[in-house]
Amino acid sequence: MSESPIDSLARATPPALAGRIRGLSDRSIAWLFVSPTILLLLAINIFPLIWTIRLSFTNFAANKPNAEVKWVGLRNYERILTDPDIWQTMQATAHFLFWSLFFQVVIGFTLAWLINRKFRGNDFVTTLIVLPMMLSPAVVGNFWTFLYQPQIGLFNYAVEFLTGIPASSFSMLGSVALAPWAIVIVDTWMWTPFVMLICLAGLRSIPDYIYEAAEVDRASKWRQFWTMTIPMVLPFLMLAVLFRGIENFKMFDLVVQLTGGGPGDTTLLTSIELKREAFEKWRTGYSSAYAIILFVTVFGLASIYVKALNKVKER
Amino acid sequence: MAEVVLSALTKSFGATKALSDVSMTIPDGSFVVLLGPTGAGKSTTLRLIAGLDKPDSGDVRIAGSSVVGDMPAQRDVAMVFQQYSLYPHMTVRDNLAFPLRSPILNRPEDEIRKRVAEVASVLRIAHKLDNKATQLSGGEMQRVSIGRALVRAPRIYLMDEPLSSLDAALRAELRIELKRIHQDLGATFLYVTHDQVEAMTMATHVGVLDHGRLVQFGTPREIYENPVSTYVATRLGQPRINFLPADLFGPARAGATQIGLRPEHILQGEGPEARVIRVEHLGDQTRLHLHLAGNDLITLSDPHTTLKPGDLLAIRPEDPLWFDASGNRLP
Repeated sequence: MSESPIDSLARATPPALAGRIRGLSDRSIAWLFVSPTILLLLAINIFPLIWTIRLSFTNFAANKPNAEVKWVGLRNYERILTDPDIWQTMQATAHFLFWSLFFQVVIGFTLAWLINRKFRGNDFVTTLIVLPMMLSPAVVGNFWTFLYQPQIGLFNYAVEFLTGIPASSFSMLGSVALAPWAIVIVDTWMWTPFVMLICLAGLRSIPDYIYEAAEVDRASKWRQFWTMTIPMVLPFLMLAVLFRGIENFKMFDLVVQLTGGGPGDTTLLTSIELKREAFEKWRTGYSSAYAIILFVTVFGLASIYVKALNKVKER
Repeated sequence: MAEVVLSALTKSFGATKALSDVSMTIPDGSFVVLLGPTGAGKSTTLRLIAGLDKPDSGDVRIAGSSVVGDMPAQRDVAMVFQQYSLYPHMTVRDNLAFPLRSPILNRPEDEIRKRVAEVASVLRIAHKLDNKATQLSGGEMQRVSIGRALVRAPRIYLMDEPLSSLDAALRAELRIELKRIHQDLGATFLYVTHDQVEAMTMATHVGVLDHGRLVQFGTPREIYENPVSTYVATRLGQPRINFLPADLFGPARAGATQIGLRPEHILQGEGPEARVIRVEHLGDQTRLHLHLAGNDLITLSDPHTTLKPGDLLAIRPEDPLWFDASGNRLP
């Protein structure tokens, strides 16, 4: 009987290497392959997290590395949670989060639903709608400051054209009442396409025969929409909300570019406040505690949400 | 329940003609089976009656009035789709109840529950009512899909190979059940199948489609005994009808080029001798594969036959069917 190709390959392996590998079990070889990734993960992810937790109990300041570091226990946490300014930023963040998600879901789903009805130039329109998502947030923030300009801004002129309110009579970014809405509008403009794309994937996953069966079962278009379309797109929609929610909780670049947190502190989102505390005021211990609080909040909310999402998917 | 009349129905999908000039009357309370290979236009016929596709020309009349302009919901028909078409996000119970929860019907919920339970027990899926539609086997899905049609009392039931993915025992059971529903309720059925037993046992009428044309319409016996062409003759009969040169057994009828022989047309023990090639014992019947003067044919024999390959068997045709060169039946 002639030798099989695998046997001859095995024979060709250098004896020294073969000897070294022979002693290892499959499990150890698996560990050998995985360990570089694990080490990297520990070094750049887990270690900083633990280090931040440790710092959050101290008065450490990164700009004074040689100063004596004092253990302050839970004092940082106590101060943050009782600080009305912090609660103000939380409120600003909640306002931004809620309304931007609300508009993105409503408009994104509607657009997806319209695009999904087959018409000529469908692909071209999709590409057009998706464009804002592909731009850099810094660029978007920058040119929207021009659009919002009371004297030369296109946005203000559009409002004047549609409602008759004089363009120069209001400033989206300068007014305490309007600025929180200004950032919601820009974020919605930029990220609605993302929600739309995911909804479109959901809508396209519903086979035509489901609607045909419902049609024969005498369901009106309205009933088909509520009993077929919505339940079957819901898992996709919830996923889009999860992605957008986590992203918007961390929102920084776009808003810094647009308002820098002002006027006053009306658009001061938590991530902007955090950056100020950490790298402008250099209160490293305090901002570490702040970061941990934010982390626990996002993590907690996301976990509850993912549970709900799984429930919807199981239905 | 109602009479359904198709007149001169024509439908094309792009360049392919799915149906051309099909006219057919489905009498009130009848059970019409459509036969034909894939692409003959069977499913298209059902979809045109249901209103899922619009005919290019021609008319569909249900209970005397034209429904071509009506939406599927207005036509009051029930359809069992070939690919089940269950609502994947709903339980079996909700799938079955869906047609009854239509605001058009406005049925009270406890009545719906009762009806769903009845249908579920007939179809033997009562124990699966709270399962999700996607957690079922193929056969169970098919039964739910039949159930979703049966919960209603529509003007006509349209069924597209509803029993195709069931095992033999269940298929036989549901065949009888559907036949019972047909007889008890006087329901009208239009039923697509490939299965000859279903066609022969359930149908009051059979329509044979060939490339979008209705080539013959009649009772199952008529279709079997008096096929208008070789095409129709091959639709029914197990084993299939044998086609042999018309002059194989002596002078042919004028114009005939082929002779069609079903097993009952072959008399054994007289005539020219054929060689036995193979003997298939199927239990209730035994098939003989014969070879005669360069032609193969299959016939039946006594289940306890002692014939074996290599033996010689004399055969002679009796009252055969004659066909011309283009496959049309000669009188």
